[in-house]
Amino acid sequence: MTKRLRTLQLLIYLFLFFGFLNLAFLGKPIDPTAGVFFGVITAIIAVTSWVLKKYYPMGDRLIFLLAAMLCSIGIIMLFRLDRDTAVKQLGWLVIGIVMFLFVVLYLKKGLVKYAKYRYVFLAGTILFMAMATFIGVEILGAKNWVRIGTTYGFQPSEFGKIFLILYLSTALSHITSRKQLIEPGIVIIVALGFMVLQKDLGTALIIFAVAVTMVYLATSKKLYVLISLGLFSGGGLASYAVFGHIRRRFMIWLNPWDYVYNESYQLVQSMYAIAMGGLFGRGLGMGHPGYVAVNESDFIFSVICEEMGLLMGLAVLILHFLLFYRSIRSAIHAENNFTKLLTAGLSVMIATQALVIVGGVTGFIPLTGITLPFVSYGGTSLLISFLALSIIQKVSEGDEGDTQDG
Amino acid sequence: MDNLTVNIKRVMAIFLVVFVILISYLAYFTLFRGPEISTRPDNKRMWDIRNKVVRGTIFDRNGKELSVSEKTKNGTYRRTYRGGPATAQVLGYYDPQYGISGLENLYDSYLSSNISASLAAWVGNGLKAVNKKGDDVYTSLDFGLQQTAYDALGSSRGSVVVIKVDTGEILAMVSKPSYDPNALESNWKKLSADEQRPLLNRSVSGLYPPGSTFKVVTGISALENITGMVEETFNDQGKLVLGKDYTLSNDKGKAMGKINFEQAMIKSSNVFFGNLGIRLEEKLFKTAGKFGFNRNIPADGIIIDNSWFPKYKASEKGNLAQAGIGQAEILATPVQMALVAQTVANGGTMMKPVLVNKVVNYDGKTVRELKPSALEQVTSEGYAAEISRYMREVVEKGTGTRAQVSGVQVCGKTGTAQHVESKTPHSWFIGFAPYKNPQIAVAVLVEEGGYGGTAAAKISAAVMNRYFKK
Repeated sequence: MTKRLRTLQLLIYLFLFFGFLNLAFLGKPIDPTAGVFFGVITAIIAVTSWVLKKYYPMGDRLIFLLAAMLCSIGIIMLFRLDRDTAVKQLGWLVIGIVMFLFVVLYLKKGLVKYAKYRYVFLAGTILFMAMATFIGVEILGAKNWVRIGTTYGFQPSEFGKIFLILYLSTALSHITSRKQLIEPGIVIIVALGFMVLQKDLGTALIIFAVAVTMVYLATSKKLYVLISLGLFSGGGLASYAVFGHIRRRFMIWLNPWDYVYNESYQLVQSMYAIAMGGLFGRGLGMGHPGYVAVNESDFIFSVICEEMGLLMGLAVLILHFLLFYRSIRSAIHAENNFTKLLTAGLSVMIATQALVIVGGVTGFIPLTGITLPFVSYGGTSLLISFLALSIIQKVSEGDEGDTQDG
Repeated sequence: MDNLTVNIKRVMAIFLVVFVILISYLAYFTLFRGPEISTRPDNKRMWDIRNKVVRGTIFDRNGKELSVSEKTKNGTYRRTYRGGPATAQVLGYYDPQYGISGLENLYDSYLSSNISASLAAWVGNGLKAVNKKGDDVYTSLDFGLQQTAYDALGSSRGSVVVIKVDTGEILAMVSKPSYDPNALESNWKKLSADEQRPLLNRSVSGLYPPGSTFKVVTGISALENITGMVEETFNDQGKLVLGKDYTLSNDKGKAMGKINFEQAMIKSSNVFFGNLGIRLEEKLFKTAGKFGFNRNIPADGIIIDNSWFPKYKASEKGNLAQAGIGQAEILATPVQMALVAQTVANGGTMMKPVLVNKVVNYDGKTVRELKPSALEQVTSEGYAAEISRYMREVVEKGTGTRAQVSGVQVCGKTGTAQHVESKTPHSWFIGFAPYKNPQIAVAVLVEEGGYGGTAAAKISAAVMNRYFKK
């Protein structure tokens, strides 16, 4: 296993090397920043892998490498799109990985002892989910962004998602009667409600998927899933009738080619990008990512497909597929209900996000604006993804806190 | 707790399946739908790629430039259509705002071919970028003939198609009303909203009842299927009673008396051919199919819409009779009827209609050459010769005398096709010349032009005169 991991690591370095070599020659004159990027990213991957191997040889080190691969693809694309964005993303990547290592190294074993902070998690969920509704600013049609000062800002619902998963893990871990479902049920509905108020349908969809999955995991009742789906469809139909922007989403999804110059412009340009990329792509720097809206975050998958082809698009999906498989596998091996639910919830969160946004930009499902985990530009998104990953990593190490530390 | 583990495994399986579905969809989307999506006219990326290439020139068969790209003051290229309104629909337009049509569209991959700058040219230019040049397309059109046909149609709506008999090359293909492709921008709104549809290429997409020109097909079918057809006589009393409520009449109800097959063709007897339609039944449906009705006719440089010949039951006598004279619900494109004439002229062999002779790349190398190819032996040489003889007589002394050209033995068949009862019928003429060793086949359609022997036959005469007297 170690040998194979080393091979994979080498392959990532090779990919980064050729990626940034290509990027260096795209600039006129040759761009030395690309070399700096290659050095920094290679170094942090090497150091992190070394630390994981040294201190936690029992942990699943593939999980980190899969995420690192996704980050590499993302940052190469961002560098090609806009240097400043890539520099910021590199900064966030360093911060994210430092945080990841911090959680993995310094958080005491036995995550289960955090299960007692149920009401802290509950308060955190409501606080972060609600925040943007009151002090948020509207970006790209959704009011889900909170500004700090003039230059910084973050998306509170991203933190809300983590708190919700923490809360549900505690509230659902020892469920015995139907009554105990009332409180988590209300919390879920309140969280969804705030997302609808903020017109952040993408996050609402993620919350719904995660919550339904966790309720099913804890109760084994398919009926609850069916009821939830029924309520969700009902709510969907109601909002279809009430909100113009939801009707528009469906209309665009069903007939994207009828509104090429207007409503479906973004989706159509994304589909053109993917179609023009073909199997091998047009080559880095040879496409027209400028035609694709929000090409650094929501639509990054389309521009990756345009310039690096279907093959790289499939690679991104397969990496997420493997990442999900390895993550949820550690949930299976976890020792107690709380960590099982927590790990499964976080895995489902990352996977759903990847499925929803890739499905959206290809026209497979209605488009909702969310980020592609580890690939899209965005500090909040990257930090949250690495935070989730650090917990999963911790669990994969065999988190036997109850017996060893306690 | 065990339950929880089992549930996690279930959820894992579901998500992995969803991943596989999305991966399959992405592959399907890119590989199978991608090529078709990429070529949509509103795809700006395609235009950026095209703009990097000096688009190739479209020539006529004599080397006259018909559509060329010229450099404008601001460094971009502009398409100039030297062929003007005469070649507007068949060659089409190429415009970043309005898209691509006609031959410009069908041969776009050659005209905007961007691999033409060779390594040698690049080195020769001191390693600096060479202006890429798309391939030139040499069409089979004879622009002089095209212009004559365009002028001969005058202010009428309609179509003229001229095909070289032995090769299937399209020498002229005109559609009216037309438009000036050089003034597309200022006229676009009007053109796209115009009910007369000037942007439509009527020659390949206009569907009209063929009327009596279809008697050529019925005639071939009768020769093939009815023994002793040539010797038979028939008493034409001016109308064919097909039950209480339906009679088929000759033009002006004229009774032609005792006539044979040959005379029926020359005088265009509806009664005689209506009767044949009933006798032939399904056999006529089959013959029409062999001539290209109800199916895609393979072609190069044009896309021909399917002509239509419905299958009637033996009990539908009225429709069968109408079908025999090219009415009922039969619809044909002008190019389809031109191919009927070409087939008869060519001893029963239909040639694949082609608009392009060759494609030549930036350094003069021929990258595509179209050799004449036979589509089908539709009927025997003997039957074709028999019908040819009748068609010669139609022009010599029958309904088509106005199609005569001095010094050339013209053959043909007129058609006066009813469409909407209250309106003037469409005027048709199909024919070929000369009678011995035919060179060109012609189809003329004039919308609401009245008698085929008048409007359409005259236009055919003008076109043939230009071809043989130039």
